[in-house]
Amino acid sequence: MAIDIPTRTDQLPTSATRFIGKAVNRIEDPALVSGTVEFIDNLSLPGMLHCAILRSPHPHARITGIDVSAALALPGVEAVLTGEDVERWCDPCFTAPEGWGNYCLAVGKVRFVGEPVVAVAATSRYIAEDALELVQVEYDLLDPVCNPDEAMAPGAPLVFENRATNVIQSRTYTWGEVDRVFAEADRIVSRQFRWNRVGANPTETFGCICQWDLADNSLTCRGAYQTPRFMGIGRAASLRLPANKVKIISHAQGGGFGGKGGPRGTDIAALLSRKTDGRPVKYIEDRMEYLLAGGGQSWDRYYDAAIALKADGTVTGFKVRLVDDQGAGAEGYGTISAAKPLAAFTGNYRIEAAFYDLTLVATNRAPTYPYRGYGPPPHNLVLESLMDVAARELALDPAELRRRNYIGPEQFPYTVPSGNEYDSGNYAGVLDRVLELADYKSLRQSQAKARTEGRLVGIGVVSTVEPGVFDWNAYATVGVPGVGVPEGVKVGIDVFGGVTVAVGFNLQGQGQFTVAAQVVADYLGVEMNTVKVTTASTDVALPHFGQGGSRLGVAVTGAILGACEKLRGIFCRVVAHVMQTDPEQIELLNGRLQMKGAPAHGMSIAEVAGLMLSRSDLLPPGVEPCPEASFVWVSPNRNLPDDQGRCRSYLTAAAATHVVQVEIDRDTGQVAILGYYIVDDCGTRLNPASVEGQLQGGVAQGVGAALYEEYVYDAQCQPLVSTFVDYLVPSIHEVPMTVKDHLVTPSPIAPLGAKGCGEGAIHTTPAALLCAINDALAPLGLECRETPASPRRLWQLLHDKA
Amino acid sequence: MKPAAFEYHAPTTLAEAVGLLARLEDEGCDAKILAGGQSLMPMLAMRVARPDALVDLGRVPGLAGIRLHDGHIAIGAMASKRAAELSELVRDKQPLFHAATRLVGHQQIRNRGSVGGSFAHADPASEYPAVALVLDMEMVATGPDGERVIPAAEFFVTYMTTALEPGEILTELRMPVLPARAGWAIREVSRRSGDLALAGVALTLRLDAGRCTDVRIAAFGVGATAIRLTAAEDALNGAAPSADRFARAGAIAAASLAEPMSCIHATADYRRHLVRTLLERSLADAAARAG
Amino acid sequence: MSNRKTIRLTVNGRHYEREVEARLTLADFIRHELHLGGTHVGCEHGICGACTILIDGSSARACLTLAVQADGANITTVEGLRNRETGQLHPIQQAFVDAHGLQCGFCTPGFIMTTLELLGENPDPTDEEIKEALGGNLCRCTGYQSILDSVRLAASRINTATAA
Repeated sequence: MAIDIPTRTDQLPTSATRFIGKAVNRIEDPALVSGTVEFIDNLSLPGMLHCAILRSPHPHARITGIDVSAALALPGVEAVLTGEDVERWCDPCFTAPEGWGNYCLAVGKVRFVGEPVVAVAATSRYIAEDALELVQVEYDLLDPVCNPDEAMAPGAPLVFENRATNVIQSRTYTWGEVDRVFAEADRIVSRQFRWNRVGANPTETFGCICQWDLADNSLTCRGAYQTPRFMGIGRAASLRLPANKVKIISHAQGGGFGGKGGPRGTDIAALLSRKTDGRPVKYIEDRMEYLLAGGGQSWDRYYDAAIALKADGTVTGFKVRLVDDQGAGAEGYGTISAAKPLAAFTGNYRIEAAFYDLTLVATNRAPTYPYRGYGPPPHNLVLESLMDVAARELALDPAELRRRNYIGPEQFPYTVPSGNEYDSGNYAGVLDRVLELADYKSLRQSQAKARTEGRLVGIGVVSTVEPGVFDWNAYATVGVPGVGVPEGVKVGIDVFGGVTVAVGFNLQGQGQFTVAAQVVADYLGVEMNTVKVTTASTDVALPHFGQGGSRLGVAVTGAILGACEKLRGIFCRVVAHVMQTDPEQIELLNGRLQMKGAPAHGMSIAEVAGLMLSRSDLLPPGVEPCPEASFVWVSPNRNLPDDQGRCRSYLTAAAATHVVQVEIDRDTGQVAILGYYIVDDCGTRLNPASVEGQLQGGVAQGVGAALYEEYVYDAQCQPLVSTFVDYLVPSIHEVPMTVKDHLVTPSPIAPLGAKGCGEGAIHTTPAALLCAINDALAPLGLECRETPASPRRLWQLLHDKA
Repeated sequence: MKPAAFEYHAPTTLAEAVGLLARLEDEGCDAKILAGGQSLMPMLAMRVARPDALVDLGRVPGLAGIRLHDGHIAIGAMASKRAAELSELVRDKQPLFHAATRLVGHQQIRNRGSVGGSFAHADPASEYPAVALVLDMEMVATGPDGERVIPAAEFFVTYMTTALEPGEILTELRMPVLPARAGWAIREVSRRSGDLALAGVALTLRLDAGRCTDVRIAAFGVGATAIRLTAAEDALNGAAPSADRFARAGAIAAASLAEPMSCIHATADYRRHLVRTLLERSLADAAARAG
Repeated sequence: MSNRKTIRLTVNGRHYEREVEARLTLADFIRHELHLGGTHVGCEHGICGACTILIDGSSARACLTLAVQADGANITTVEGLRNRETGQLHPIQQAFVDAHGLQCGFCTPGFIMTTLELLGENPDPTDEEIKEALGGNLCRCTGYQSILDSVRLAASRINTATAA
């Protein structure tokens, strides 16, 4: 029987929603503020050992000798793991595209500073680190390739010798009549941009406890796992285990935002457990490990891009050439982040033709991993910056230029040239509201006044689309197969009427447990505090993915609604049987299964569950004594991409426009944010407080990327940032307190009309800030086209001019 | 990130501490003094510092007082920065030192971090060495041969190096009270609020009959240690305060700097320019306060 | 002298005596010897503030303190805030829940302990004073706006309760 997932809240079996759409308190929070949540480092197991990892100090070198004898002799050391063990027991991790992966510990040579070389298991982390100092490794240094130019030069050293090149992938995409629109353009605006490496940096680094059962040849991994099942499959592949012999127990995570160093850390801890006859081994990545090589580096990009315009400001074409420094291989799926912009390549605009020339290059920098937004934030910065340049050249207000090019509200569903279909939107409405909120006219007046005083004040008005609810098909062209990302839940009701929702993921911060409780409580007509949300380990969990790609709030809502619809069907049959009528005569409303037209005749959800569990004699034939239902939700109506990558990929398209006013201190290069205004539209807001939190958190990370954060490498490929002294996560002083409002244009196809919104403002903030900075610089004829726009960079720009 | 093993000593008198340091030195033991630990602990955790022994001054009484003595303010080396920040004596009588203290790190750091620890650590990007030069502070060191007083100009030798001999303990910091009608200022540029400065300037001056006198300026974050900007001082002493004069002093100061350090956050040229700008702005602050 | 030492200290009102290695950080001692896991470790070099606790009433980074330095100290961690009898949250904890002042919650105990010190010293802080106090605690999730709201809410509730 097909299950219809409600796309509107008025389709729910309740007279009025009590929780959905309200800023209810999160069920996660009492334990989190009490300090009692079991983050992985809070857990100890009997006999547990502690792992420390010796990492490469060289970007590129052949390992000619490893002597671990002194380390092994240190009291408290139980095992030492080297590349020899790893080569015997493991395969390199799988990658997209295939064949660009490393082993968890270096085998034969090192490819980046921070690559694990030797690992120790000891009775304490202190002793394990003592042991690392006793390990002798001899290296023959190789010339590193430090950037894409070097990597693509003829005769360049090879990062992977088994490949004949350092180019992981190079291809073009052509969507529509690009040559024609550029040939017919009245104006072409082109610029180059450099986006330097940034990354997730959750407050908790990665950690795990792995235990290898030698008799059963199975592995149990507890840890800070964002995507448990995906992680389990990967471990099975790299550790040569059957997938059903790897069990992942996901603990609550202290933030995610993309990759943590999970695969390597897990494999190393697992092999140390194997080497110590199955003792549990804990590995807690420390912050320096994270910053050097912990899966926290993303988006190392060189852009050359252009837009074609008509004289009236209509943008007709968009060309992007991207060279993306992936670092030492594709283990972290940095490749995907170069493909994701296909989901919203042309942003909020009716641009008829587009072209993407993509070159992914391996270098001896650390491998790149996912980071919130997964690729579009730099892409949006490029497009929006070009829009601003065009506005200046056409002497049009940047807000007006955008308005002229927006996809109209009547044009949805709208297929963008790169193939994805946007579900709904009201971009002009969002713009109108934010201009009103910001009092844009007076912002411009204050800017004009400031300019007469010689001050560098600028305003950014930037619009972006946030693709929500990812699907694998979006990444097919960089080597990821498949259509459909499942999210499974089980909803069960116990004999006392308590509701349990079992999910496949754990807490990470976005509040999905609360969303799950809101949805199930409204559907079943129970109180939220009777709902328990729990995480199933991968051996028993339904197919699931977890957090990622702005999907989980929507996906878990769909899954719960599906399970609840199934439960309703079963309950109607049970109640109809008891009342000796047809199931069609029974309806669920406000938590009661009742006779249509005679609501006095009915039973509560708890009564039905109790009956099912205690009176099998009253059940209709074929109904099991099980008031539980499972449902695995997947985005509806997805399809395979064509040869240009075109498909219906991301299910939803949220939108936002930011207005920001900045001032640059021309003598120090410092940027002050004078005012920040946001209007967004992500359809139905399931928990408005959580949506606002995601937005504001995205602003903070956007501020970091635009102004502060950068993984710097020197000319020999040595990383110069290895502590929080130099990787500048913004504090409360640096992040603006924003003024926000929103529109609600529900998705016609997503569960309850909610759109993915978890990645939020990081799509918009970097572009908004850079546009504002360049607006401030415009009277001087200067442009900053590199991020972060740090004081040093801006001062240099201003100084070179002077 | 766990410290390597070390021996731990917690003497309970100054004499015991001094004796301990002498003995450890005789034994060829690399001993380090632990004060508040706010700079030392990260170095231990990263194992860039790996002493054989730590001598914790936290149990030594009498090193944390803040008092007025002979017309000077005397701050015990183990006084926390927070204590200096909350001291009315410091705030009222030596506002430059007070303002500098508030610029150090964050409250959690100032609660634990000692004033003396920062002097002994001698990070060139920290505020205190520059303030010490401006105020002509005196450092009291206690060693096996008793006390000696080291003027600020001699105390800071080079990058993270002071004139303290091995076996000597910094016990007290002395500074004059700010004279009547004196102006002061401290400004810095750091990437984030509370971060170490990329560059900074501290100064005092007096206005006498419409002329600047007693101008003392030091810059921090630009060299191996804090630097007195004497050329700029000379250009200001005896001159009437004006925006032009301050700008010129800034330019002179910037030109007088030997090659400032360069790092990922700031090039030498940028730092030089920051000194120029910060001095110009600080002079205006100080003149306003002196007025 | 050796590299081990016996320390006696009070944590959340309870007295402990333990022999520890001199190099053991106070953060590791609290977390792994006393099993009070609410004091989280985010950087181990004194920047992030996740491990903030109160030592003798003053906020401190537990990662920048050795356990041996805490000999004789009176320490409060986030576990010491909730009412032990009733389980009721401290007003600051409740304010963080009510104002959505956390997402992943990993940095939250540090923010709460810093706020505890702030409101003890300054019951009615301005926004600027709140920012100044919280400047040494990094949060990667919230963007701080809801944290600012939480501290304001806690202050107003505590002041209302005190006035009543």
